[in-house]
Amino acid sequence: MKRMRIMLSVPVVVLFAGCALTPPDVTGAGTQLEMRQIQTREYDTLDKQLTMRSVIATLQDLGFTIDQADSELGTVTATRLHQYSMRMTVTVVQKGTERVSVRANARIGEDAVTDPATYQDFFVALDKAMFLTLHQVD
Amino acid sequence: MVRFAPTSLPAGSILLLAAVMGAAGCATSIPEDALRLPESTLEIRAMQTRMFEAPAESDILIATIAVLQDMEFNIDRIEKPLGVITASKVSDADSKSEKTGLLFLDILCAAGGGSGCDASSTAQDEQAITMTITVLPSLARSGEFTVRVTMQRVIYDKMDRIRVLERIDQPTIYEDIFDNLRKSLFLQVSSQ
Repeated sequence: MKRMRIMLSVPVVVLFAGCALTPPDVTGAGTQLEMRQIQTREYDTLDKQLTMRSVIATLQDLGFTIDQADSELGTVTATRLHQYSMRMTVTVVQKGTERVSVRANARIGEDAVTDPATYQDFFVALDKAMFLTLHQVD
Repeated sequence: MVRFAPTSLPAGSILLLAAVMGAAGCATSIPEDALRLPESTLEIRAMQTRMFEAPAESDILIATIAVLQDMEFNIDRIEKPLGVITASKVSDADSKSEKTGLLFLDILCAAGGGSGCDASSTAQDEQAITMTITVLPSLARSGEFTVRVTMQRVIYDKMDRIRVLERIDQPTIYEDIFDNLRKSLFLQVSSQ
């Protein structure tokens, strides 16, 4: 009987805990370093500007429109409205004299995208755009 | 001590029910293919892209801004070093035939003795369109530029609820924009 009571109390706890008033989600749920690794790729190129143009082309390929782009700070923010609303910020940073680092983070509605495979898909698309931009193939 | 009401449901079913309710109420899922390139990428890119010739990048940017103004858009942002222009407009999305249909539904609903018949409030009211135009100078040939247009829109109903979120995909719209840009570029270059 006692065991039965415990079993019955579990669903009640699950129900309430699942929807409890949440604290402000400011710092995010992921581990800082882990998320950086998932969201970042480095490219062997000298050109930050061309990398940014490739990032913009990739976002366009993926159906985004650009909300804001800043070539000096290397930041692009874009939104996609298709069935759901998705927002991305991509930053491009020069690393030394030979490499460029690209970091992307995405949110769908009120959820952060944390799945490594989703970011992998983004970088696969960016690889193609980098190739097209550098070789000017349309 | 808390006592639960007696129930005829087995404990396993209750657990399952709670899990389903918990998941439905609080969790959302990220689509697996959210950032995967669709197979139609090349086709869509071709529809959205045209090559133009102009004496300077600024000519094509000025001509593009003029076209956006012609089409009654407001310019939200320009990042000249990257050749990116973002513009938007909110316009009417009213459709008479849709409104008539919904009004008919409301009349039928009221005639059937229903209360809270408000199908008419779901009628499309306005659409917010955002557009990004990028201008990419050719690395190989000076004076050649690739212009790419991307657009999407949100349609709201009479109660300001979102009805539709979509990419604008009609090829004729892109054709019209590029035709306008061709004319605008001609005017821009010949006025110098």
